[in-house]
Amino acid sequence: MKCIFEGARVKVFGRAVHALSRISDEFWLDPLSKGLALRSVNSSHSAYACFLFPPLFFQSYHPISGLSQDATDGKCKLAVKSLLPLFRCVPTADRSEEMCQISTSPQDNRVVFKLACKHGIIKTYKLAFRECEVLQAVFPAHQCPNVLKAQASLLGDMVMHFPVSQEEVTLSVSPKRVMLRNYCEDKMDQMKAMSTELSLQPEEFDCFQVAVSSDITFCLKELRGVLSFAESHGLPVSMHFGCPGKPVCFSVEDVSLEVTVVLSTLTDPSQTTEPEVPPAPSCDVSMTLHHGSAVENLTEHVTHALLNGEQVPSSQGSSIFSGLDYLGRVASLRVASIDPGDSNAEGCWTLDPGSQTTPKVCSVLFGSVSGQQVGGRTPPHASLVCASDTDEDTEEERALPIPRH
Amino acid sequence: MPLSTQSHVRDEHYVLAASLDNVRNLSNILKAIAFKEHAFFNATANGLKVTVENSKCVQANAFIQAEIFQEFTIHEDSVNFQVNLTVLLDCLTIFGASTVPGVATALRMCYSGYGYPLTLFLEEGGVVTVCKINTQEPEEPIDFEFCSTNVINKVILQSDSLREAFSELDMTSEILQITMSPSQPYFRLSTFGNSGSAHYDYPKDSDMMELFQCTKTQTNRYKMSLLKPSTKALSLSCKVSVRTDNQGFLSLQYLVRNDDGQICFVEYYCCPDEEVED
Repeated sequence: MKCIFEGARVKVFGRAVHALSRISDEFWLDPLSKGLALRSVNSSHSAYACFLFPPLFFQSYHPISGLSQDATDGKCKLAVKSLLPLFRCVPTADRSEEMCQISTSPQDNRVVFKLACKHGIIKTYKLAFRECEVLQAVFPAHQCPNVLKAQASLLGDMVMHFPVSQEEVTLSVSPKRVMLRNYCEDKMDQMKAMSTELSLQPEEFDCFQVAVSSDITFCLKELRGVLSFAESHGLPVSMHFGCPGKPVCFSVEDVSLEVTVVLSTLTDPSQTTEPEVPPAPSCDVSMTLHHGSAVENLTEHVTHALLNGEQVPSSQGSSIFSGLDYLGRVASLRVASIDPGDSNAEGCWTLDPGSQTTPKVCSVLFGSVSGQQVGGRTPPHASLVCASDTDEDTEEERALPIPRH
Repeated sequence: MPLSTQSHVRDEHYVLAASLDNVRNLSNILKAIAFKEHAFFNATANGLKVTVENSKCVQANAFIQAEIFQEFTIHEDSVNFQVNLTVLLDCLTIFGASTVPGVATALRMCYSGYGYPLTLFLEEGGVVTVCKINTQEPEEPIDFEFCSTNVINKVILQSDSLREAFSELDMTSEILQITMSPSQPYFRLSTFGNSGSAHYDYPKDSDMMELFQCTKTQTNRYKMSLLKPSTKALSLSCKVSVRTDNQGFLSLQYLVRNDDGQICFVEYYCCPDEEVED
């Protein structure tokens, strides 16, 4: 196999290698007639990524070299760490790699990466590889009932709110809305962790096709690499998925490349039977997010069943803080204490006290604020602003003291 | 602001007295060679030479000429002493490492001779710190006998290009191989790590190459662990000269500009790695 690519394509290739490094320590180099495929599978076989560079991507592309017509010719497994220094994504103008050549020499089991850089400097990496069969995920994306397509920047903005250490997230879709929240395996961890949830309307998406409402939980960590790759190239990302338990496929397509990521999803049945909506009346604290010029409506539902009544030994017998309880109680407070004129202080807070239905706030972040439950009402916290004096909320406040399991 | 000396009268007792308005002009250079605890100081009328050695295989020297100092008084031909370099650097940077423009720490360094401690007066914003560091029995550093007449190959490169290569070097490789040749590949750095080999080729006509004088093809290997500390000097420098002699000994000379734009030199000598036949 021998191929050459130049200029900006070298950076693209480098970013692909970096995205693959988030999935696994090794990747396959698979030269096919339809293009050069870089594939990676994580150790638990729950995440698969494939970057396909068609012949159009290259100055010259020869998948089969020499006399050997063997099907396994050129397929090799490489350690991704050894390649990362060669494709360091440093955003300085000085690093203008001019040309990259990849060739395999089966005789001595080496893949040679030759990078011609500025000032005539040539970097050559001769990496040892193992010949092996390539794993490929076969996933009939076209058979998936649900398809979402959005600009990578939108998805980037969504995942930005989750801490880097967040392993899994749950994506809930229904014909009316899309919700993304963090997933906590352990109920005890749920109490201590910060809960993040955000909701979007179908209009945000370039394509919104939801035939089956479902909640799928998948690993976010492994997806981040590909998302940042797509964002750096301003490409849209498509998601194909169905019921929980079936894999979810993320794909990015362009004239000169195709990226496919397949992630397995949790099949935990208890995940789908968690009380999504509290007993009526619903805690329907409507919030609107100002994001530049776009206005997104966030509808908050109580989704986590928090254990109530548990005592925290260290805080002298006060109950564990329940973020959602707190939010509900704050919901009944008047907006008068908050100056709407200050709305743009942080650049994104806006309050519309005149509206009876939708107070507008930003960023639904349930802080792990240790609020003491003194007399049932606590003063509004600067980071949790949401107030409405609708009847619904007042009723919800009365419903709160009932412990939920 | 120059430190007013404690008493000029006491100067007579010092065999060496040196003052600097900005201590960073000394501390930065010393950091570039601080890969071992102890350093050998040799002061002459020309200036200060500080030497650090490791396993008798690698030696680093920092040269700070007398002209760099605001005051450099020496009462003997040659003054030698050895101190703990880590402690010395801690004292020199005692006011912190922040570089607020207009605020500099001034230094006065005094030495009364064998048996006396090295005395440092450091001043910043009116606050004075006095440090007395005990000196040790000086051990004369090795003379690598590297002289220009024995130099076979020499190149001078702009540090930027080498910096990139050194930051990407495969650390799983035990050795760094340097090939210098009048023909291809001209100047090549190679590593042989766990996953394979890596080569960095610099052509002789590259605009990063300021001087290229190679007479014979030479390939020498050096222990990576010995050369890695030189990266610090490389990051401070603007130019580096790479020379090898007939025995394969390597000399790396770095041209460093200090905060005031004055030139100092740092050099590393390294002996080649002898291949052990299994």
